[in-house]
Amino acid sequence: MDKVIEVQKLRKTYRISKGKELEAVKDVSFDVYKGEVFGILGPNGAGKTTALEIIECIRPQTSGSVAVFGFDNLKSANDIKGLIGVQLQSSQYLHHLSLGELLDLFASFYSSRKDKEGQGRTDLLELVGLSDKINEEFANLSGGQKQRFTIATSLVHEPQILFLDEPTTGLDPKARRDMWQLVKKINADGITIVITTHYMEEAEFLCNRVAIMDQGQILEIDEPKKLIDRLSDTTQISFFTDSQIDQNIFKDITKIKKVHASYPKVILEITSLDKISAVVNLLRQNQINFYGFTVKTATLEDVYLDLTGRAYEEGGLDE
Amino acid sequence: MFYREKEGFYWTVLMPAFIYIALSVLPIGKAIGSNLKYSSYVLPGIIAMTIMQGGVYSLAYWMVDLKARGIIKRLLATPLKQWQLALSLVSARLVIVIIQVIILTLLGILAFGASFAGNVISTLILVLIGGAIFLLVGLLISTFAKSYDAAAPITSAIALPMTFLGNIFYPIEALPHALQIFARMLPITYLADGLRQAYLYPFNFGKIGFDILILGIWLAVMLVITLAVFRLKE
Repeated sequence: MDKVIEVQKLRKTYRISKGKELEAVKDVSFDVYKGEVFGILGPNGAGKTTALEIIECIRPQTSGSVAVFGFDNLKSANDIKGLIGVQLQSSQYLHHLSLGELLDLFASFYSSRKDKEGQGRTDLLELVGLSDKINEEFANLSGGQKQRFTIATSLVHEPQILFLDEPTTGLDPKARRDMWQLVKKINADGITIVITTHYMEEAEFLCNRVAIMDQGQILEIDEPKKLIDRLSDTTQISFFTDSQIDQNIFKDITKIKKVHASYPKVILEITSLDKISAVVNLLRQNQINFYGFTVKTATLEDVYLDLTGRAYEEGGLDE
Repeated sequence: MFYREKEGFYWTVLMPAFIYIALSVLPIGKAIGSNLKYSSYVLPGIIAMTIMQGGVYSLAYWMVDLKARGIIKRLLATPLKQWQLALSLVSARLVIVIIQVIILTLLGILAFGASFAGNVISTLILVLIGGAIFLLVGLLISTFAKSYDAAAPITSAIALPMTFLGNIFYPIEALPHALQIFARMLPITYLADGLRQAYLYPFNFGKIGFDILILGIWLAVMLVITLAVFRLKE
């Protein structure tokens, strides 16, 4: 596969005060391949936005190198900017311009605008589901609509890579799901996507590969499923019972690794999904009433926990 | 823009017009003791003040707002270059300043019979140079002020002395001697004087030329400072 982004030994330090420095990005290296959705996952303050903005030629690195389509980010920023679409973490636009006018304005900044005015802008608004808002002002849109519009502005010049910086932060669940569909649709058109997020499920759902970032470093990069599989082969079953039960009843079922019973909750760790029915049957045979039965496989959250030794919190420090 | 932003229209056009109307209607002029009508005397002054405010207040606050809301950052994520963006923002304000000058001039002539000697070319040169000086001041303020709170004291410190000592409402000869020396260092003094020459008297190359020369020096100095320190990014 073709590499479209190559990041090597990237480092960024900020001077906070005299003699005090903050190392926001520490020695980060990764590649992004053509056509994939590449996720950078981590809590707030992990350095995701800083890394992204360096690749987007918005800020320079302290050391290390970034190449986008072979162009160096420090020497050929304008070549890169013409090929990428950028959605920043928070987007605002000039007051009193309609969505259609804003799209025309953004299109005018690119030499490859072709026929993006007129038909192009209606197509874009249709893609992001805002066709009927062409004469509205940005300020009158809802949170989800605003985020979708910012994606439209970043697509005016038909970029080959789209950068999305936490596109679903602050959105309600419905708007978040709409956004995921939009990202999939854009990717299906052949646009490579680099997305940062602090939502584990978003990364699992959207990304072909995920880099897990924490405290300025990348801890692991792989497909979400492989990261999870590598972590463990266990599945957790949990349920509640009406009455106290004897833990030993489970000892005859093989492949149950662990039993934690503390009335009313019982948690079993099994190594094979086939054993779920065996557990249910056993409970029936022993006439144990149970409820709230859940099966939970490992998630990226568990991967994060395993890598950092800390539970994943979506809040945390502000970036 | 004015059509869509009513508040902006009020502050940028109606406000200076109200000040002008109030000063022309009230019998202040008689106290100055000139044989000119005060509405004629003060019109070029108000225009100079409006030009100054266009840069020191309007542009500076606009830029601080655009920066604070991340708009500059978003625009610079496109192939647009910093100087292109700065130039377009300044030009947009300069157009508004020119519209303000035209509206105030028409108001003065039509409503208050203020004099206009018809010196259009000198007026245009003065407006453009004066506008450029104060717009550059606005750019510099926005380089150093990261928020409204930071910008407010800087703009006041610059605009207040210009407004009250800068030859706008009364001749600087009316000031105490020490303040006269200070007033003679302000660019607005020469902008107001030049506009007054252009509006009230027949063309006199020596007098207007001197004002334009001093303003030209100011513009050169401001350009050098701006090119050295101006930063669009936060």
